[in-house]
Amino acid sequence: MEKATVIVIGGGATGVGILRDLAMRGVDVLLLEQRDMVHGTSSRYHGLLHSGGRYAVKDAEAGKECIEENKILRKIGKHCVEATEGFFVRLPEDDEAFEGKWVEACQKIGIPALQISPNEAWQLEPNLTHRAKSVYRVPDAAIDGFRMVWQNVASAKRYGGRLRTYTEVISIEQSNNHVVGVITRNFITGEEEFIACDFVVSAAGSWAGEIARLAGIDVHVQPDRGTLIAFNHRISSRIINRLRPAADGDIFVPHGSITILGTTSSEAKQPDDTVPLTAEVEELLKIGEATFENLRDYRMLRAFSGTRPLYSADPTAKGRGASRNFVILDHAKDGLNGFASIVGGKFTTYRLMAEKMTDFICKSLKVTAPCRTAEEPLVEEISPQLLAKARLYFPAYSSDLAASRLGGAALEHVVKRMEENSQKSQLVCECENVTLAEVEEVAHDGTSFNLSDVRRKTRMGMGTCQGAFCTYRSVGAIEATGLTFGKDNIDLFKEFLQARWRGIRPIMWGNVLREIELTRGIYDGTLNINGAIDHEKR
Amino acid sequence: MRKDDVIVIGGGLSGLIAAAASAKRGKKVTLLSFGMGTMTIGSGIIDILGYDNNAAIVSNPESGVKMVDEDHPYHKIGLQAVKNSVEFFLNLCREEMYPYIGNLNEMKWIPTAAGTLKPTCLVPKTIDPDQLKVSDQIYIVGFHGLKDYYAELVVKNLKVSLGMDRKYEIVMIDHNFSGGRDVTVLDIARWLDSEDGRAKCIQQLKNKIKPDSVVLMPPILGTTPDYLVLDELAKATGCQLIETMTVPPSLSGLRLRSMLINCLKKLGVRMIEKANVIKSILEEGKCIAVVTDGIDRERTYYAQNFILATGGIYGGGLISSALGEIKEPIFNIPIQVSVAQENWSNLKLFSNKKQPFAKIGVDVDNKMRPLDMQGEVLIENVFVVGRNLQGYDFCFEKSGNGVALASGYQAAMSV
Repeated sequence: MEKATVIVIGGGATGVGILRDLAMRGVDVLLLEQRDMVHGTSSRYHGLLHSGGRYAVKDAEAGKECIEENKILRKIGKHCVEATEGFFVRLPEDDEAFEGKWVEACQKIGIPALQISPNEAWQLEPNLTHRAKSVYRVPDAAIDGFRMVWQNVASAKRYGGRLRTYTEVISIEQSNNHVVGVITRNFITGEEEFIACDFVVSAAGSWAGEIARLAGIDVHVQPDRGTLIAFNHRISSRIINRLRPAADGDIFVPHGSITILGTTSSEAKQPDDTVPLTAEVEELLKIGEATFENLRDYRMLRAFSGTRPLYSADPTAKGRGASRNFVILDHAKDGLNGFASIVGGKFTTYRLMAEKMTDFICKSLKVTAPCRTAEEPLVEEISPQLLAKARLYFPAYSSDLAASRLGGAALEHVVKRMEENSQKSQLVCECENVTLAEVEEVAHDGTSFNLSDVRRKTRMGMGTCQGAFCTYRSVGAIEATGLTFGKDNIDLFKEFLQARWRGIRPIMWGNVLREIELTRGIYDGTLNINGAIDHEKR
Repeated sequence: MRKDDVIVIGGGLSGLIAAAASAKRGKKVTLLSFGMGTMTIGSGIIDILGYDNNAAIVSNPESGVKMVDEDHPYHKIGLQAVKNSVEFFLNLCREEMYPYIGNLNEMKWIPTAAGTLKPTCLVPKTIDPDQLKVSDQIYIVGFHGLKDYYAELVVKNLKVSLGMDRKYEIVMIDHNFSGGRDVTVLDIARWLDSEDGRAKCIQQLKNKIKPDSVVLMPPILGTTPDYLVLDELAKATGCQLIETMTVPPSLSGLRLRSMLINCLKKLGVRMIEKANVIKSILEEGKCIAVVTDGIDRERTYYAQNFILATGGIYGGGLISSALGEIKEPIFNIPIQVSVAQENWSNLKLFSNKKQPFAKIGVDVDNKMRPLDMQGEVLIENVFVVGRNLQGYDFCFEKSGNGVALASGYQAAMSV
C-alpha cells in the first residue's frame, strides 16, 4: 500500500512550494495533481513577480509580502525570473490624488519607487503613450510559472519529495476524527487507489472548496475568471502598470519574445471555466490601447483564461473587492484533525505561503527542522563544462534557453542524446528553439502523458506558429521512439492542436486567421487528421 | 499603352489556370503575381470533393460535386464546366509531358506522411495509389536526418488504414549531406535531380527492397515537372513508387507550378512578378485598369477583363483586420460575415462540421462575376476565382485545388 506522511493536493505554485519545503525539512511527502502540473492558475496569469506596488495602497500587508518575496525569488529562482523592472504610469484620466497616496504607501512598506520624467520614460520605452503624466520605476520582474513549478519539483525530488500527476482525489478518508488517507482516481486509466497518510493539505487553489467538501467541510472559495492576451512581440522591455487603483487590463508583462496583457475579472461558473472569449479580448485591447496606442498593430498569439482562487470568510465579497491575502484553515476546528487548507494569496508570495503552511504541518507532526527555502536556489548551478559541451551540439543560441528550461540533470541527458546521434539536435519547434533531443527527453521523463505535457515543460508549440509545424514533428518523433503514451497517435495530433485552438479562437483575425488557415491546410487538408476519425479502410 | 484582353491578378493555381485557359482561347493575357501563391504549400494534387457537409465520404468526386449546397462554387460553375475543366487540365498536363492521372468517377485514396489516407481526384504519376490496394509488401523509405518525415508514424497508421495483413518494412537511406543544417525534402529532391544522387539512392534501394513491391517515399522525386526520377527509380527497383504528402514545402506543388509557368511562357502570356495590385480604376460599372505599387513607382495596367485570383485570407486576397471584418482590397467587393464568435468558428478544430470562417468569401454568379449584397452583378468585367470565393471549406471537404481549377477555367470561358 502506498503511503506518505503528508499528502499535498494541488500541483500549482503553492502546492509545489509546500512539497519542496516539507521535503527539505525531511518529511515524507507526496503531491497529487488532478491533471498536469500547473494545470490551474499558476500558469494562467500574466507571470508578474510583483514589486508590491499594485497592492501598496489597498492592502499594505500584501504589498510588503510581495516586495520581500520578490527579493527572495530573484535569488533562488534566477532561471525563472527575468529582472525587467517595471513602470507605474499615470495617464491624464487617472486620479492624480491617488498618485500621492501610492508614493506614500510604497515608501511606508519599503518598495523603491523612483520617479522619472515622462521624457526619460519614452526614451526607455518608445512605444509608451506620450500622454503619460508621471512615471515611476519599481522592481517588478517577469516570472515563468511553468518553469518555476517544475524547478520546485526538481528541487523537492532531490530531497525525496514525490509527485503524481493526473491523479484526482475523490475521497478523504477519516477514522476517529483524524485523516487516515485519501482515495485517488487516475484521470487517464480511471483506476482507484487508497493512499495512507497522517496529514492532508489542500493547496488546490480554485478547487479548494471542492476538496474541502470531500470531507464535508465548507470552504468559501469563489473562483474569479481572468482572461489575458499573449502578443508575439516584446511591446515594452519593462512591465508597465497603470498608476491607479487596480483594475482590469492594465498590466503588460514582457516574457522572452512575447508580452502578456491582463487581466479581466468576472465571476467564474466553476474552477475550470477557462475558455477565453472574444468580448474579453476586445475589452482588454480597449484598455490596453490607452497605454500603447498602436496596440492593435501587434500580432496576437492567443488568449487564455484562468480563475483566481479568491477566498473570503465573508461569502459576499467578490472580484477585486476580495482580499488577496492568504489564509491557513485548520480543519481541526471543523472537527477533522490532520487536514488543513491554504487559500487565497498570489503567485508572488507562493514561497511564503508554503513556508507558513509547512510550519503549521511541522508543528503538528512535531518536526523541528527550520525552513530553508528562502536560501537554497531552486536549481543547482549548471557547470560551465556542461554548458560548453551543450553549445557544441545545440543549434544557434538554444543551448542557453534549454539550460534554463531543463536544469542541469535533464540538460546532461539531452546533451548525451545529441552526442550519440547528431540528428537529435534538429529543431522540432523553430519558434521556441526546442530540439528533438529535448522533446524525446521530456516525453520519456515519466510525467508526460500527451504532447501538451511536453509543451508545458519545453515551450514547444508556444511560439508564433502555435503548433503548425511542430505538431507533426513531435508526434512523429514520439512515435519513432516507440512511445505514444498508450494513445492512438491521431489523438495526440488532435489533443495538441485542439489545446492551441482554444486560445486562437477568440482572436481569429489578421495574421492569426492566416496562420490557422495554414495549420488547417496541413492537418486537415493534407494529412487528413479529421478524416482519420473513422480510420476509413480502403 | 498596352491593353490586354485579360489581366489575371494572382499566380496561384486558379490564376495560372485562368491565364492558360484564356490564352488558349486566343486572348492576349497579362499575369500579375506577387509571391508564389500557395502551390508550394499545398500538395499539387487536385482534390475535387471527398466529404459531404456532415463529414461522410462521398462515393466519387462527381457525385460529390452534384450534391453541394447552392452557395458552393461548384453549384454555380455547374457539373459540365467542372468536367470540362478537369478535361482541360488533364490535356494540358499531357501536352506539357507531365501527365496527371485520375477522373471524376473515381476517388483516389492517397497515403500521407501521417500514415492516414486522403481522398483526392487528380494526381501526378508519382502519387498513383492503385498498387497500394493490392500489394502485400509495402516498404516505407525514410532518409536519415530528413526533417518532416517519420517512417514509423507512417507505418503505425497505415496498419490501421490499410490493414494489418500486409507486410510493412522501413528502409532508411543515407545521403551525403553534412554540415549540421536540417535536411528538408527539397534537399533530397535536388540530390535526386543529380545523376550521382540517383545512382547512390538506387544502389541502396536495390540492396534493401524486393522487386514487385510498393515503395512509399517522402515527396522527393525531383524538382522539375517530369517523371525522370520516378521512372529511373521504378525501373531500377522494379517497384511502384508512391510519394506521401507531408508538411510544406511541397515538391509536387512546385513541379505543377513550374509546369504551368512553362506552359504560360509558350502561350505568350506576359508575366509580371512582384506586382502588388493595390487598387482598381472603374468607369461606369466596368473596370478599366488596375494599379500596382512596384519598388519604384505605381504602374497602371489596362484590359478588357480582369480575373481576380488573389487568394483567400491565407494568400492575402482577403484581409481581416478585426473580428467579423473581412475586406477584398482591390475592388472593394462587399463580403458578408457574422461577428459573433460562435458563428465564426466551431468550438472544436476538428469535428464533423465545416468551419464557418472558412466559407467566407466573395459571392459570384455562374460566370464568376462578383455580386453585391442585393445579388446584382457588381462589376461586369471582373471575374473572381479560387480561394477568394465563398461557400466552401476546402480543408474539411477536400476540394483544395479543385475549386481553383474549375473556377479559373470557368472565368476564362466567361471573358
